[in-house]
Amino acid sequence: MQLQVPGPWSPLLGRLTLNAIPYENPILQVTFAVVALIGLVIVGLVLYHKKVGYLWREWLTTVDHKKIGVMYIIIGLVMLFRGFADGLLIRTQQVLANGPHAAGMLGAKHGFLPPFHFDQVYSAHGTIMILFAATPILTGFQNIVVPLQIGARDMAFPYMNAVSLWLTTAAAVLVMISLFVGDFSQAGWVGLIPLTELPYSPGVGVDYWMWAIQISSVGTTLNAINMIVTIVDMRAPGMSWFRMPVFSWTTLSTNIIGLTAFPVLGVALALLGADRYLGTHFFTAGMGGNLMLYTNLFWIWGHPEVYFLILPTFGVISEVIPAFSEKPIFGYVTMVAATFAIAGISWLVWLHHFFTMGAGPDINGFFSVATMLVGIPTGVKVFNWMFTLYRGRITYSVPMLWAMFGLFLLLVGGLTGMMLAIPAINYTVHDSVFVIAHFHCMVLMVVCAGFAGVTYWFPKLFGFKLDEGWGKAFFWTFAIGTVTVFSAMFALGFEGETRRLDWTFNTAWKPMLVVEEVGMVLYVISLVFFATMLVVSIRNRHKQRLAADPWGTSRTLEWLTPTPVPFYNYAVTPQVNTRDELAWRRKYGLENTKPDVYEDIHMPRNSGLPVILGALAGVWGFAMIWRIWWLAAISLVGIVLVVIIRSFDKNAGYHLQPAEVEAMERDLAIGAIMAEQSDRAHHHTHAEAH
Amino acid sequence: MAGSHSDPLAHPEVRQGSAMRYIAGFVSTVVLMGAALIVTMRHDLPYQSFVELVGGLAALALFSQATLFYGLDISRAQIWKGVSLILTLPLFIITVGLTVWMFQSLNQRTMVMPTSAAAASQPTLLQ
Repeated sequence: MQLQVPGPWSPLLGRLTLNAIPYENPILQVTFAVVALIGLVIVGLVLYHKKVGYLWREWLTTVDHKKIGVMYIIIGLVMLFRGFADGLLIRTQQVLANGPHAAGMLGAKHGFLPPFHFDQVYSAHGTIMILFAATPILTGFQNIVVPLQIGARDMAFPYMNAVSLWLTTAAAVLVMISLFVGDFSQAGWVGLIPLTELPYSPGVGVDYWMWAIQISSVGTTLNAINMIVTIVDMRAPGMSWFRMPVFSWTTLSTNIIGLTAFPVLGVALALLGADRYLGTHFFTAGMGGNLMLYTNLFWIWGHPEVYFLILPTFGVISEVIPAFSEKPIFGYVTMVAATFAIAGISWLVWLHHFFTMGAGPDINGFFSVATMLVGIPTGVKVFNWMFTLYRGRITYSVPMLWAMFGLFLLLVGGLTGMMLAIPAINYTVHDSVFVIAHFHCMVLMVVCAGFAGVTYWFPKLFGFKLDEGWGKAFFWTFAIGTVTVFSAMFALGFEGETRRLDWTFNTAWKPMLVVEEVGMVLYVISLVFFATMLVVSIRNRHKQRLAADPWGTSRTLEWLTPTPVPFYNYAVTPQVNTRDELAWRRKYGLENTKPDVYEDIHMPRNSGLPVILGALAGVWGFAMIWRIWWLAAISLVGIVLVVIIRSFDKNAGYHLQPAEVEAMERDLAIGAIMAEQSDRAHHHTHAEAH
Repeated sequence: MAGSHSDPLAHPEVRQGSAMRYIAGFVSTVVLMGAALIVTMRHDLPYQSFVELVGGLAALALFSQATLFYGLDISRAQIWKGVSLILTLPLFIITVGLTVWMFQSLNQRTMVMPTSAAAASQPTLLQ
């Protein structure tokens, strides 16, 4: 059964024609040229350095949780850059297209983006930032850190971990393809209904949005299962529940949310897909359909999703603040309780996203009170962090700066969230940019924790620290840029500017729009500093030799491993004696103890099947979007075949012999001793200088 | 949950599955959900009976999946599966319950359907 779609359709190419490629759009032409050039440079470098085999063996087919985590973060950072570019386009359009006399160019009456293009830009911006930037970055951290923190060799299901990664990648690739083949959705990241229905969005934009999210959410759900099982089942001996680091606790809670919430999104999008592809009427205005059912289902997922992002962010901050305050986290048990309280309440608040729907005072009152309740456990956390800082020996290293700014954004975002929880205020500022400024404070807190985490755990993985000077330059320009953009946006919200405007008709908004654009310029400068930080750090990496704990004040188990972490993580599964294991061992001089006897280590083998599965899922998504039925059928059969092939593969892995492990540990220990000596020499010089 | 670490097929929970159980689970689920689809598309049941029948079919499909695919029972070996299912129930009650409450209130307030007599006695915008 195929629903009649407007425009041409052929059995061979479905809806795909040469007209789908936007030749006439100069912005996309330039973007395509830049992307193609970067792609060619990367491919050229790989070929020139003869790294194809290395890339396949060591990265594309890996099942190592650390490498998978790194790839998640790289995807997240690339998509963060893309989402930022969309944000820059939005802000620039709004400042240029201000007032009735604003000039127009490139086919736009005002500014440079016609409404058709502008709507795609803001839809892509939201979708990308939440699902393809923040989510992969946080998932990456969880992948890297959690097995190390709980003393595990790898994730519970290393193969499934790789499948999750490549499904997420396939979805991200589909979003990127929509730039150059066809369009992206114009219905906002939330999929405004009935705009996403076929009669109102007859193109392929909504299909790109819908299938990309569906595929990535399968990856996220599988990852959630993996994380939960890893934490429940693979903790090292002695790592009882209340010795587990806070980041692992937040990972557990966030993945319980992920596992339970993402299927709701899957159902909502599947029903929308049935409307668009099979002609059903789940979300239409007539024929027994109900528009609000979609909005309701979307936000049943959508609000827990907010905490799915925020909780690991809290986890990162809970690791960074004690490390750079040289104190254990204050109120550990209340921290854990608050984490689960937030996760629980997250299921009771979703209707505050549509207070203005008209459900009545009882309903709005209930969800208003439930929303305000979130403030209690969040307040507990904020006070715990403050008491951790109180009388601590604070070092304002780059990770700490990001964590502190994250706290600032949490306060601003949280308090404006409390304002929005009051239906009377919500009615007043509903759909204004005040709401946008509020939730950007929250998601930028996620970004801050992301950069805190990157700079904090980077040396553990790669064996060298990121440059502190350029890191601080990056931080300050980013932080000032954030304050500049969003202070102005809060003000514009009060001045009545509604969201998603391709033409800002009120000239009184101009000054604040200009301020926002200044903030965006600061963001661009901060990106230059970020790139410089990476280049300088990589260039100078040989000047550093780092000990197991490069910061010298870290507290949790992951810092017990050699730096950089060997592929087998721990030579011998550690015995955990207390909470903050490393701090305890450091106190008693036990951090460098070596095992008397090494045992063989069982490791999983790499597999090319996950990347093939991801590629097939990407092809299947593309075929469904363009309604190329034969290609969809072939790729689906391919997916089933790969799963069957995998089920016959016993994949018994391989064993590292004790002698091999001992030799590798000896080499790593020599590096560590040299690092410690270099550290001591540095401290000595430092002391003399004073 | 002890089991072989190196051979997934040797894991006790994996060994619990069998081709017959998977086929039975698949067939029963397809039949039950297919029946629900047919009932929905025929539009020939009163609303109350329709909701009860579709709800019953959904419960049966859930039960057959839980027992045949999931291998769920109340033994100690299955404790994590049982706990997971039980922990999901409050979420199910919260989301479905609050949704029903919300739609009931919303419909009363926004989808007012006047009776034919009342409609006839009241002027409409077209009169």
